[in-house]
Amino acid sequence: MTEIFLVFLIYGLLGVIMVLVNKILGPKKTNPVKLKPFECGSPYLQDRIYPVPIKYYLVAFLFLLFDVEVVYFFPWALVFRELGTAGVVFMSVYVALLALGFVYAWKKGAFQWEG
Amino acid sequence: MNSLYALAPLSIIVLASIIILLLEVFLKKENKNYLGYISVFFLTACFIFCFMSWGKDYSYFNGSLLLDNFALFFFMILTIGTLLIILMSLNYISLMDANHGEFFALLLLALSGMFIMISSTDFLVIFLGLEVLSISSYALAGLKKKDEQSSEASVKYFLLGSFASAFLVFGLAFLFGAFKTTDILGIIDGFNKPTELGLLAIFGLGMVIISFAFKIAFVPFHMWTPDVYQGSPTPVTAFFSVGPKAVGFVVLIRILYPYWHSLFDSNVLFTILWIVSALTMIFGNLIALRQTNVKRILAYSSIAHAGYILVGILAMDNASCVFYLTVYLFMNIGAFTAITAMTKKGKEYVELEDYAGAGFNHPWIGAAFAVFLFSLAGFPPLGGFLAKFYVFAAAVKEGLISLVVIGILASLVSVYYYLRIVVFMYMHRSAGKLDIQQENPALLIVLFLCLYGVLQLGIFPGNILVFIRDAVGSLPF
Repeated sequence: MTEIFLVFLIYGLLGVIMVLVNKILGPKKTNPVKLKPFECGSPYLQDRIYPVPIKYYLVAFLFLLFDVEVVYFFPWALVFRELGTAGVVFMSVYVALLALGFVYAWKKGAFQWEG
Repeated sequence: MNSLYALAPLSIIVLASIIILLLEVFLKKENKNYLGYISVFFLTACFIFCFMSWGKDYSYFNGSLLLDNFALFFFMILTIGTLLIILMSLNYISLMDANHGEFFALLLLALSGMFIMISSTDFLVIFLGLEVLSISSYALAGLKKKDEQSSEASVKYFLLGSFASAFLVFGLAFLFGAFKTTDILGIIDGFNKPTELGLLAIFGLGMVIISFAFKIAFVPFHMWTPDVYQGSPTPVTAFFSVGPKAVGFVVLIRILYPYWHSLFDSNVLFTILWIVSALTMIFGNLIALRQTNVKRILAYSSIAHAGYILVGILAMDNASCVFYLTVYLFMNIGAFTAITAMTKKGKEYVELEDYAGAGFNHPWIGAAFAVFLFSLAGFPPLGGFLAKFYVFAAAVKEGLISLVVIGILASLVSVYYYLRIVVFMYMHRSAGKLDIQQENPALLIVLFLCLYGVLQLGIFPGNILVFIRDAVGSLPF
């Protein structure tokens, strides 16, 4: 029991010490560009807010949706015979729900690149 | 009884939300009220089903989904709550430029998440339900897409809410490490047997409680509440203030009650919850005194009410907690309905000064609002009084005298800010600023139903109390 907390204590302290050592011993050569907050390639101060293409996020979302769907198929396929009819029903409900979500996204215009 | 019927309430609600989503994209009409009527129809069906299956103990998925009476009771009151919220928002969302069909679908999905949390007996499934509830809530909070405060509420709720969910998973990992199971009954068994991993398990349980304390808004974890309540559309705020709170307490009752004595002999958890309860009552009420925004006042009041209900949990009287939650649902939804009524196109009246003279210019809404505020403050003929009375009486019986004294003093303080709104409505001269566009029969029906609920529970609580005793009696221990 105490060992577990000792492990947390030691590794927690180690993390703090390493950061502190870096702060104390590390060389401090800076320049203005290096001190700027990292902002994914765009300048961090702009005179106004430029629109960011949100389409990439939509594509990523939909990709994730169907990627995760496939992950659930593997364990299902392994025990397919034991599950019998119930397994087919449950998986069809699951796929149907995702398909309806897909139809919703489609009709909402998630795949229209222009406009 | 193992039966597919156990899935029915959940399926009805999910089916309704999918139908609404599809209708929303395929039938683009200007007037979206028909989506509201469809959801009212499905909610009624769900309510009738829950009522019919009372006492049947349907279960499914090897018992990890269990419709005992306790779950069914909360299914029913949350279904009623969602129904009232949908009715009161029919006109509001088009006035506020938030008229998306997704509003109804998201509300129903959040309800289905709460169903999962209430009826599940396994912690991992409870986590699943929590996520369904939370993600729908984040979207609901930001429903007014062009409004800065609404977006702020959404982002704030999202960031802090995901942090709280992380606490739940972390605590669950510790509990699993200690007992090799995530089943609630298994965890209870583990706590009742002395093991060398007890400290680990208590730590895990603490983490789990923290994550629900966030949903319920107990005091060290209440920071998100005022901002989120203020920024969200008013009906959604009403939903947040009753739904997640009730569900949080249900889970707390389910996990804490059975091994109350074995845990409280060690006194650690009891002391911590005692302090949390006292702090919640004191801070919630004291900070509310300084607010001038009515929605913020009600936000702090909802924090304070969570403290009162926790007194009931500490007194080990589940029936009084459930009764309090039922009364709270009606009086809080009623109060928020009155605020929803104070709206015109693109503008909500939420400052105290706006309410000057409202009681005379809009007699029905003003009078109902006053009654709900009296009930929240705990005045005798109304539901709020009996709820507080039961909770404090149970606590006195258990010998928690000092906590009850704190609670009563705090609720005396609360009278000031509740009555301040009434004073503004009836004793200040109307500045003529308030012109509201809510001549909506649905809203008046909601006001009337909540009024009926508060009066029925305050004057003739007998029938409901029989139901509640029956529900609490069905808990496994």
